[in-house]
Amino acid sequence: MKRSTQIGLAAAGVLLVATYWGRSGSQDQSEESLVYANLAECRAGGQLTSTQCEQRFNEATANHLRDAKKFTSTSACETEYGSGSCRSAVWNGAQVVVPALAGIMLARSLAQGGGAAQPLLPPTQQACPPGSQAPECQQARSSSSGSSGGGGGYGGRGSSSSARAFSTTSGAAVVARAGSSPGVATTTTTTSRGGFGSTARSYSSSSSS
Amino acid sequence: MRRVPLAPRPDWQTQVERLGFAFHTIDGQTYWDESVAYGFTLAQIERDIEAPTDAIEQLCFAFIEKAIADDEILSRLAIPVGQWDFIRESWRRGDRNLYGRLDLAYDGKGPAKLLEYNADTPTALFESAVVQWDWLEQAMARGVLRPDCDQFNALHERLIAAFAQLRQPSPYRLHLACVQNSNEDRGTVDYLMDCAVQAGLDARFTYIEEIGLLSDGRFCDGANQPIETLFKLYPWEWLFRESYAANLATSRCQFVEPPWKALLSNKGLLACLWAMEPGHPNLLPAFFEGDPRCAGLAARHVRKPLYSREGANIALIERGAVIDSDDGPYGAEGFILQDAAPNLFAQDGRYAVLGSWLVASQASGLCVREDVSPITKNSSRFVPHYIEG
Repeated sequence: MKRSTQIGLAAAGVLLVATYWGRSGSQDQSEESLVYANLAECRAGGQLTSTQCEQRFNEATANHLRDAKKFTSTSACETEYGSGSCRSAVWNGAQVVVPALAGIMLARSLAQGGGAAQPLLPPTQQACPPGSQAPECQQARSSSSGSSGGGGGYGGRGSSSSARAFSTTSGAAVVARAGSSPGVATTTTTTSRGGFGSTARSYSSSSSS
Repeated sequence: MRRVPLAPRPDWQTQVERLGFAFHTIDGQTYWDESVAYGFTLAQIERDIEAPTDAIEQLCFAFIEKAIADDEILSRLAIPVGQWDFIRESWRRGDRNLYGRLDLAYDGKGPAKLLEYNADTPTALFESAVVQWDWLEQAMARGVLRPDCDQFNALHERLIAAFAQLRQPSPYRLHLACVQNSNEDRGTVDYLMDCAVQAGLDARFTYIEEIGLLSDGRFCDGANQPIETLFKLYPWEWLFRESYAANLATSRCQFVEPPWKALLSNKGLLACLWAMEPGHPNLLPAFFEGDPRCAGLAARHVRKPLYSREGANIALIERGAVIDSDDGPYGAEGFILQDAAPNLFAQDGRYAVLGSWLVASQASGLCVREDVSPITKNSSRFVPHYIEG
């Protein structure tokens, strides 16, 4: 026989060709990322609808356990992520300790169209050593341990809330700066973005054949 | 080889959409056309398509060996000098490739002739691997075709096997990328991603435009995850000329297709192969434009830009006059001239071009596209095929 013996059309979950087609991107071509520490902050940010915020947090939560570094003890996790920053979980049937989900980050230009939301973790001890007086570390510790931090409410933050530190699951430090652009992050290790794709934009025809 | 009109399934849209095939109609025009099918004998498939496809791939490998040692060839192919070592290294390292499609002229008699090699970013993959496969199963089940028919189409299982072999140790993390705002490209990548998942890989999608550069020199996806292996449905000749071009060689990323495919996905290949094997039964005479030997070409010949997709900027010339052409943005890097294929299948005002698929350099399947003109364009229709029982 010269053809595949099966494509698995009947076997559930084998042929998972997406029925979900990317919608066209938003007009905002900004390459910045949006960072939200929790659902309420996302909704208050006004960039995404309430439903979109929930979807993004659900995605990030689903990816969090898969991507986060796993530890065998709370002390080992806290040595890297700081006191009170870890929680226990079950992964592939094993008891593990992972840094807690501290927020989500997503590319602003893709936020409306379904770009992946990335889980954010508390900052590492390397970025925010114990006793650090850096304002972003103060804010990060207080928000990841659950208190509302700063001036309270969504709009009335005090000066200490102008920046917060996080880390990505791959260990990169992220500092989210509030102020004129609420929740916009700069990632210290991503030096640039968008260095590919310019030819496709200048052509009307397809990039494939 | 026969062109056989058949009644489409009454609910064909529903049937193909249930497979996830969302671009059966493009810009209001029919793309998937099952009102006709092409029937082949097993001998035609094995002797005239499968065997020559494997032979041409071997000839292409011999060409790469020659090209990476010859600066003049790399220059003729308009490969930027800064990328030569990047390409050479990928070949010497033995970077594996996933897939490609040879476009062949064939009318059922005599040897198929190579029109071009889509070695880097071929599409029409999902409809070849899945939609026409399912069409045949249903046609045989409904009694429209005899139940002992077959199809040259092992794409699905070969793709899954090839993904597992691309990189060691496997499973590995694979990013797959295409441009924003192209349903056809996204459909192709989504299908390949499904194959990769079935191969056990940690497969993740990112748009080409989302890719970023980390301070350690690696590329990252939209979520800043480092990219270690990247399937990119985006041409090498464009990557070579964009902002991150100088970062390619230092990114420690394994690319799929590998950089050496840039030497094959270039119409200059056609002139180079003819120079290596003049008179080869599966090749058409071809020369770079400006070569004095162009005078020896047939009165009816084709002018093709080195870089061109979906028929753009290709002109069919008869005794010096352009009789068919397609506009487009290509041609700045030069052209080749190639004899018009004398064996292009034509019937009922339709021309058919065969796409012969390679997976991991092995002939693995066939697709047929029809057009009302001898130049296959992005307006062409995908038509299913079968092997007669």
